Amino acid sequence: MGNGWHGKLLRVNLNEKSCTTEALNMDWAAAYIGGRGLATKYLTEEVDPATDALGIDNKLIFATGPLTGTYGAANGRYMVVTKSPLTGTVACSNSGGYFPCELKYSGFDMIIVEGKAATPLYLKIHNQQAELVDAGHLWGKTTDETEDLIRAEFHGDAKVACIGPAGENQVRFACIINDKHRAAGRSGVGTVMGSKNLKAIAVRGTGGVTAASPTGFREAARETLKMLRQHPVTGEGLPALGTAILVNIINQSGALPTNNSQFGTFDKAEDISGERLVQTYLKRNKGCMGCVIACGRVTKLTDARFTGKGEGPEYETLWSLGATCGISDMAAIVKANYLCDEYGMDTITIGSTVACAMELFQRGLITEAEVGMPLNFGDSDAMVKLVEMTGKGEGFGKKIGLGSYRLADSYGVPELSMSVKKQEFPAYDGRAIQGMGLEYATSNRGACHVRGYLVSPEILGLPEKLDPQAIEGKAAWAKAFQDVTALVDSAGVCLFTTFSIGVPQVTKLLNAITGSTCSDDQMMVAGDRIWNMERLFNLKAGISPAQDTLPKRILSEPLPDGPMKGVVSRLPEMLPDYYSVRGWDVQGIPTTEKLQTLGLA
Amino acid sequence: MLRLQFYGLLRLMLSGKEALDLPWQEGDTVGRILEKFQAVETIPLTHKLISEQGILHAGTIILLNRRNILHLDKLDTPVRDGDVLALFPPGAGG
Ligand code: SF4
Repeated sequence: MGNGWHGKLLRVNLNEKSCTTEALNMDWAAAYIGGRGLATKYLTEEVDPATDALGIDNKLIFATGPLTGTYGAANGRYMVVTKSPLTGTVACSNSGGYFPCELKYSGFDMIIVEGKAATPLYLKIHNQQAELVDAGHLWGKTTDETEDLIRAEFHGDAKVACIGPAGENQVRFACIINDKHRAAGRSGVGTVMGSKNLKAIAVRGTGGVTAASPTGFREAARETLKMLRQHPVTGEGLPALGTAILVNIINQSGALPTNNSQFGTFDKAEDISGERLVQTYLKRNKGCMGCVIACGRVTKLTDARFTGKGEGPEYETLWSLGATCGISDMAAIVKANYLCDEYGMDTITIGSTVACAMELFQRGLITEAEVGMPLNFGDSDAMVKLVEMTGKGEGFGKKIGLGSYRLADSYGVPELSMSVKKQEFPAYDGRAIQGMGLEYATSNRGACHVRGYLVSPEILGLPEKLDPQAIEGKAAWAKAFQDVTALVDSAGVCLFTTFSIGVPQVTKLLNAITGSTCSDDQMMVAGDRIWNMERLFNLKAGISPAQDTLPKRILSEPLPDGPMKGVVSRLPEMLPDYYSVRGWDVQGIPTTEKLQTLGLA
Repeated sequence: MLRLQFYGLLRLMLSGKEALDLPWQEGDTVGRILEKFQAVETIPLTHKLISEQGILHAGTIILLNRRNILHLDKLDTPVRDGDVLALFPPGAGG
């Protein structure tokens, strides 16, 4: 009988070119659930938070949760945990597809990569046999080509997670792409992989995952499946229109950051909407392994200017390569999205950085000669070109590759970077949605929507509708959403399930798989523990609570348009409440008593 | 007249139709307008927004002049000549 774990981690030392198997620390697995929580525990124990993120001492952890690879819901997620070269905070990027389950089926729960290879290598795992092999012939290849070449030489059914040229070129926001189109996207986890000269991890696994209570798990899984199928969001909305459905919703709500957050609505939003994508380039929807929601978009370009096929764009990308650059050219956005996948770059950060460069150009701070072309808002050809130049590390693309904060800072105007802790906002204006502003400011990996998605109650009305402009109670909502997300991520379940299932269902699944007997409250405490552990890592890394803030534009420039015209973020009023509900002192430092209750002191 | 805008699943079910103008009468509410809309269409549509009991589904968004009716009087919210009602069946993302 199992418990969702194989009890094994693979330690890969690139200095010594060695692979060793170790027992997984099961006490930590119980306290930190798995995935994000457990990997961050290993990171905090093994890596000095002050270390250089791109130095030899940083480690890169690939982690599954106890539910990764199980059936019944959307349980095919894994996480990459490391110190971020973009933010200097802890990084945890989550991805689905097929690679996560294959990793679990190989017999390993987690991989810890340490050191730096002298020459490019890739890691081959066939069930519990692991070896590092030469990747010289793969260096410089796109993610697409890399996967095809590895499958041809290793195993036709291998699942591959790899970096593209952007990771090799040390673009600060390079991601790790698995199954060609799925990304552990944010915070530069692919940059760390590139710094270690590790091109890819390829896995073939034929094992399985066993539950502590097979009948209990079957029952919980069946129930979850039914809830996902019956809920209009996960049963119908997401499969039909994917995340792209949000373009019109968020635009109509006055919260679609446009022209580098100079506006909150985009007059051409229809042209980049999910509805328009269905009418143009969408071929079908697609799921990660075993997922009943299947929110992925399989697309093919049939435009005279651009060719290609792939997956996406998602909502975030339609916004980042679209509205925030003032671009309404759907074909160009789809093409740039493909390029981001092929070169291995985070679409949110690159789009926001191009938008920031466009504002620098608008203000005359950068010139046509410097960029090599005009860079006006709305210029889709320039955007596609810059994306390609960034992936290749050419010309002005090298500056875009720094991310918007470092770019704007180099021109003396860091306030034009729409970021928190040097990571760019996703596609929601923090003035129009007050809770999201608080969430961005306090997120442990810099601005992020998938650390506590308050858009769900504030705009979508799930699980209940909150007024996006109210601030009362938002601190408690932010904490609750952040803790639940930490729990769900760590379990190995897709966050999108939480539109229809709540903590009680996640608890049921976790108890049935691991054999634990935790209450919902204990599960929430685990989420709180993970959040506080991440906060401690960041404090030790030198990320001061003074960085729990928002750009000047969001704090003091009222939105000039749309239904939210005239509002600014009321972060200064919400932040003290947030520290208080977290059990932190007024400076934003977790108190000893709080840490003791979580077993962190 | 009053303008209805269709998004998400509704637009797909209406074969791409983006909007429809409906006559307005004194005393009309959002709920009444949805009934009028259903009456002029040939296929069932409003069940994507509200239950048989006339309750808004979790996740349904109806914006009256860009304000969510959940923060007004829900389906009883009065509407006026020239208003715009945007209808979004439940959908989500991230
Ligand atoms: S909901 Fe979408 S992202 Fe999540 S597991 Fe399913 S297909 Fe993948």
